[in-house]
Amino acid sequence: MIEVSNLTKKFGPHTAVDNISFSVEEGEILGFLGPNGAGKTTTMNIMTGYISSSEGSVKINGYDILENPETAKKHIGYLPDVPPIYGDMTVMEYLNFVCDIKKVKKSEREKMLKEIIDIVKIDEVKGRLSKNLSKGYKQRVGLAQALVGFPEVIILDEPTNGLDPKQIIEMRDVIKKLSSKHTVILSSHILSEVSAVCDRVLIISKGKIVASDTPENLSESLNKGNKISARIKGKKQEILDALDSLGLTNGFEINDSPESGCFDITLNTNREFDIREALFNKMSERNLPILVMKPIGLTLEEIFLKVTEGNASASEELGININNESSEVYSDINEENNHQSTDAEALFDEEEEEKE
Amino acid sequence: MAAIFKKEIRTYFTTMTGYVFLGFFLLITGFYFSISCVFGGSSNFVNVLSATLIALLVLIPVLTMRLFSEEARQKTDQLLFTSPVSIPQIVLGKFFASALLFFIGIMITSVYAVILSRFGEVSFAQTLTGIIGYFLMGCCFISVGLFVSVLTNNQIIAAVGTFAAMFFIFMIDSIAALVPASTSANIKFIALIILIIAFLIYNSTKNIYVSLIFAVLSAGAVAIIYFINSLAFDGIITKVLGWFSVLSRFDNFNMGIFDVSDIIYYLTFSAAFLYLSINSIEKRRWR
Repeated sequence: MIEVSNLTKKFGPHTAVDNISFSVEEGEILGFLGPNGAGKTTTMNIMTGYISSSEGSVKINGYDILENPETAKKHIGYLPDVPPIYGDMTVMEYLNFVCDIKKVKKSEREKMLKEIIDIVKIDEVKGRLSKNLSKGYKQRVGLAQALVGFPEVIILDEPTNGLDPKQIIEMRDVIKKLSSKHTVILSSHILSEVSAVCDRVLIISKGKIVASDTPENLSESLNKGNKISARIKGKKQEILDALDSLGLTNGFEINDSPESGCFDITLNTNREFDIREALFNKMSERNLPILVMKPIGLTLEEIFLKVTEGNASASEELGININNESSEVYSDINEENNHQSTDAEALFDEEEEEKE
Repeated sequence: MAAIFKKEIRTYFTTMTGYVFLGFFLLITGFYFSISCVFGGSSNFVNVLSATLIALLVLIPVLTMRLFSEEARQKTDQLLFTSPVSIPQIVLGKFFASALLFFIGIMITSVYAVILSRFGEVSFAQTLTGIIGYFLMGCCFISVGLFVSVLTNNQIIAAVGTFAAMFFIFMIDSIAALVPASTSANIKFIALIILIIAFLIYNSTKNIYVSLIFAVLSAGAVAIIYFINSLAFDGIITKVLGWFSVLSRFDNFNMGIFDVSDIIYYLTFSAAFLYLSINSIEKRRWR
C-alpha cells in the first residue's frame, strides 16, 4: 500500500530524516512515535508530497509521490499538525471547497459530507465560521477534511493534539473505525494513544527508526529479565531473613512502605525460574503475609524513554533491567490501578506544556 | 484550478479586501472623472484611466499581498499542496481571481464612458483599446505582486515588496535616461550580469567548476563579439531596462494604437512572473 524506501531529508546541514525505510499494509494502523523534533512531521510532509525528499522514494498504491504527484495525492488524506482551515469560511463552505480541490463528483458530494460530518461529529458547528471554533472542533474539521473523498490512505499528524480526554477517546474510536476501510498512519508523542490504537509502532528518534513492532511485542521483548514487586507485612529483619533463605542470586531491594507495618520489596528475577511461588510459600511459612505481589513490566513510556534517550545501541541494552530507579518504578506500579485517570492527567499536563 | 479561483473570489468578498480594492478604485476613478470629464468638459475616458495609474501602486498590493503569504501563515498551503491540484493550477487560479476583481473594477468605471457618450463624442475604438491596455498592464502588476507574495509569509512585507517592485517599474524610464551610454559602462554591465548568473549557477548546483566554466566561456564570447563589432553592446543597459518598462507600452494604448506586439509584451511579462512564482514554490519544496 505504502512503500517508503531510503527516505532522507536534509535542511541545509541538518539531517531531519535519515535513511528511513518501511512499508504499510492495507488496513493497518501504523503509529509514529518520537519526541518533538524526531522527524515525524517531516516524514509525513514528504509522504504527502508537501515537501520533497533529498533522497529516497515514497510510493502510494504504486504511484511515486514525486513522479505522479497528482495521482498519488488522490489516494491520500492528510491532517497536518496545524489543521489547514480557512478562518473566513464556514465549516460547510470549507468542506465544499475541499471537495472541489479533491475533485469529488457533485452527485456523491452531499451524501459523503453527511457521512463525514456524522463520523467526526461536527453537525452542530457546520454553519459556523471556522475561526470561531474551539481547538477541538478545529481538529475535527481538519480530520473531516482529510476524510473527504475517502482516500485509501489517511495520514494524521498528532490527531489528538489539543483535545480534551473525552474527545481523545472519541478520536481514537474514529481512527479505529477508519481502519476497517482505510490504511491509517498517525504520529504522536503520547504513548498511551499509540498503544491504544495502533497495530504497529515505529519509534523514531533523531530521524532514524530505532524500533518497529506491535505495541505488545515491544513491551514484551523489553520485559525479559523481570522484576517483581511485593508488599509484605512484618518486621524488616524477619523479611530480610526470609528473603536470604530463598537464596536470591540477583539481589533485591527493600524500602519502607506507605502502609504502616509493611515493607515493599523489589526482586530481580531471571526468566527461567518463576520465583513467585517460592516466595509465597516461604512467606506463608514464616507467617509474613504478602499483601501485594506484582510483576513490573516496562510501560511503553519507559521503553520510549529508553529507546529515544540513547541511540541505536540503546536497543541492545533494552533487555537490561532498570537500575537505581526501583523506588520510582514501584510508585508507578502502585498507580497502575487508577491508570485511566493518571493517563488523562498526563495528557492534560502535556497539553498545558504545549500551550506554554 | 476552478476550485482555487472560486475560493479566491469568495475570499475577496468575505473579507474586506475586495471591498477595499473596489471602493478605492471607484473613488479615485470617480474623482478623476469628475475633474477631467465633468468639470474639464473632456470626453476622453482613457485619460481618466491613465490618470489613475499612480493609484495602482497602492491598489495592486492590496489585491495580491494575501494570495500566498496568508496561505503560508495559516498553513493552509499544506492543504493545497497535498491535494491533487498541480502548482501551476494553484498559481493560475489565484492570478485569474485577482485579474477578475481588477476587471470588475474597470467594467464598473466604463459606465462613465457610456455616460459620456450621451453628452459628447466618445471614440469607441480608442476607449476599448485603452481599457484592454489598462487591464493587461494591471495583469502584469498582479503577476509581480503574486510573485512577491510567494516569497514571504507576511502580508505586510508582501505589500511593501510589491509596492517597491512596482515603484521601480514606474521609475524605470527615468532611470534608463540617467544610465551612462558609453561602451565601457555597457561592458561592465554585461560583466556584472555574467557574474550574477555564475553565482546563481553555483548556488543551485554547488559546483564551482560549472559556474567558473560558464563565466569564462561567456566572457570569451563577449570579448569575441566586441572585437568583431565594437559597437555591439552600446545601449544595452537602456535596452534591458526597457524590458521592464511596462508603462511606456501603455502610451500606445492610451493614444488608441492597438499594437499586437504590445499585447504580446504584456502577456509575456505576466507569464514570466507567473513562471517565476511556480518555480520558487517548487524550489521551496526542495529546500
